[in-house]
Amino acid sequence: MDCDSSFSSSLDGSGHAHRREFLKRLAIVAGSSTLLAELPWWSPLRAAPVGDSPADRVRIGIIGVGTRGNLHISHLLRTPGVEIAALCDDYEPHLQAGLARVKGAKGFADYRQMLDMPGLDGVLIASPLYLHARMCLDAFSAGKHVFCEKSLAYTIEECQAIANAHRGSKKVFQIGHQRMFSPVFLRALELVRNGEIGQITQIRAYWHRNGNWRNAVPDPSLEHRLNWRLYRAYSCGLMTELASHHMQVANWFLGTHPVSCAGYGSINYWKDGREVYDNVNVVYRYADNTHVVYDSLISNRFYGLEIQIMGPKGTIEAEAGRLYAENPPPAPGIVQLINGIEHGFFDTVPIGGPSWVPDLKQDTKGHYLVHDKPTDDGTAISLAAFANAIRLGEPIPGMMEQACRAGVCVLMGQASMEQQKEIAWPEEFKE
Amino acid sequence: MLVVETLLPGPASGTKVFHHSCFVMNTRFSMVLVEMDTERAEALAIAAERDLRAHERMMSRFDAEGPVSDLNRCAAEKAIQPPEGLWEVLSLCRDYSKRTRGAFDITLWPLNCLWREHLGRGEEPTGKAIKEARRQTGFKRLHFDEAAHTVRFQREGMSIDLGGFGKGYALERLAGSLRAHGVERAFLSFGESSITVLGSHPHGPAWPVGITNMFHPSETVHTFHLHNASLSSSGTAPFNHLGGPRAFGEIIDPHNGRPIEGYRTMSVASPSGIEAEVLSTALLVTPERDRAALVSGFSTISAVEIVYHSNAGMFVPRIAWKYGL
Repeated sequence: MDCDSSFSSSLDGSGHAHRREFLKRLAIVAGSSTLLAELPWWSPLRAAPVGDSPADRVRIGIIGVGTRGNLHISHLLRTPGVEIAALCDDYEPHLQAGLARVKGAKGFADYRQMLDMPGLDGVLIASPLYLHARMCLDAFSAGKHVFCEKSLAYTIEECQAIANAHRGSKKVFQIGHQRMFSPVFLRALELVRNGEIGQITQIRAYWHRNGNWRNAVPDPSLEHRLNWRLYRAYSCGLMTELASHHMQVANWFLGTHPVSCAGYGSINYWKDGREVYDNVNVVYRYADNTHVVYDSLISNRFYGLEIQIMGPKGTIEAEAGRLYAENPPPAPGIVQLINGIEHGFFDTVPIGGPSWVPDLKQDTKGHYLVHDKPTDDGTAISLAAFANAIRLGEPIPGMMEQACRAGVCVLMGQASMEQQKEIAWPEEFKE
Repeated sequence: MLVVETLLPGPASGTKVFHHSCFVMNTRFSMVLVEMDTERAEALAIAAERDLRAHERMMSRFDAEGPVSDLNRCAAEKAIQPPEGLWEVLSLCRDYSKRTRGAFDITLWPLNCLWREHLGRGEEPTGKAIKEARRQTGFKRLHFDEAAHTVRFQREGMSIDLGGFGKGYALERLAGSLRAHGVERAFLSFGESSITVLGSHPHGPAWPVGITNMFHPSETVHTFHLHNASLSSSGTAPFNHLGGPRAFGEIIDPHNGRPIEGYRTMSVASPSGIEAEVLSTALLVTPERDRAALVSGFSTISAVEIVYHSNAGMFVPRIAWKYGL
């Protein structure tokens, strides 16, 4: 099986020049991929490589400089043609730490003041979930392009409001589902579409960790602010913060959203005052009767994280980057034997030769999807796409649809667990 | 699991074929069943794979927690009682060692390591090193306590390797199970070097199996017609299964502690999978003049030795010895 891929370029090496060269190569790949119809969000990457002139520079402000915001700073500092012009955080220690990393950036405690800053092209929102909608809507109103971290929003109504506002604004919108730009996931999609695993008959995904999922809090009064993921007023916990990634991939690979879901969740281990479930189990049903089975917990990490895309001919484990054939191919002599019997021939089965001292055990471990596994999970490429789209002044096609589908999915799952009933896809939802 | 529907264009005979392959015992196992309901065939394949994996766990020297590793690690220090299945296997190996006058030997691992290490560096081990390694080999240095069912190594550094026995043993067991389940026709193959058939080919009186020229795989050198029989091949090749070069033929002659030379294969057909497996190696390391005497103590077998001679830069196969044909 040919597992080489045009997407197998690595993003290792951190230099600016390296990244520029990588993006140049990526532009060629993006322009030639046969999968582009299914990857409309790759189109900004086909743009001509960015130069050094001030006209090419995109000025971005980051709202929320916590863990994820800091990771984005690292990537944006190495993304050609991007200037981090402003940072915003209402938690002073985070803001100061961020400003120390980004020379010349202006600091804000209130994002609305940052939106008023002249010359700012776009914002990157890495704030707690419950603030996403408000910040997106205000940014669109202020005429800014928006990169919003996942999950899209805290409620389905808010997801709808963001989609509506974006439709009217004509601005670039991007969601932080980086697997849409991961070379490994693109290769997985290519193999699925080439029929390597046959029809997708089930997707199983999980994200398991073993830890309390808490940040250290210097003062009890900051508990909700710094550990917002644990409290229901700010987050839906495992569903929005982890499951949204794999639900985005599931919807993408299945080419649609689920029609309904049902699940159970509970707090069965970390009984420390948190309000969000520490274990969740949800099954999603799609119109063609394919199911996506999802579970997540934070009291065991043996299985880690994975999304298994299954079909009658094979299984893809996209996080591990491997493809497992359902049935190892028989040796040529056996194939000849089977053919002969089926067609009524009485032929000699040829054996011997070099294959008769086989050592094929490694095949039980599957085939690598790409041989040169990139060190980037798609985040760096996705930020380059965002910057390019702003430069081109064109919205990223297909992006809001992916954001809404994943965002609504996880909220359906949360509702199902909380209400203990099956929840249908909101038919009135307009992506 | 796969029910092969159509692999070739043209009209099918209507004979239903079920095929299952899996990786087990360090090789690819294939099972072909014919004229059988798919559900039944699948159930048999699942059971077969489960049994083969159990055999692998029992006999593999590469499972650090397995009973063979226990033995290799501790049996020089004290008598070890292996699980009953492994005791049975070791006892069988001892019997076959006697019946082949030491030509079949599961204790050659120290010599294997010595040669692999030296040839990997492009040199031969010294005579002294070979002599020392030979002191760590030989069935006479394996002490069996029949009453306690324990095994003890008489020297430090001894190590057993069931690689030349396990596949034949597993095939013989599997064939017995399939027969017990009423299976009358089957083709079972371990990496094509160990084959067992039940009954005959659905369109002929036997299962014809051709030993191909290893340098020209499209050319068959000899064809065995198997009916309720097993076929095992051992030998040396200049390349590994991927076509890459091999430094070491891997078959050690226990009589002198050296790897056998040249490119040769020995294929043995026997009603017993174990005997085919044992004899394919034992005959290869036994001088031609002694082979007839060696096989006279076994059930009806047929055997072919193919030797590859270099001729104007080409390797040409020749049937150098045959028996029972």
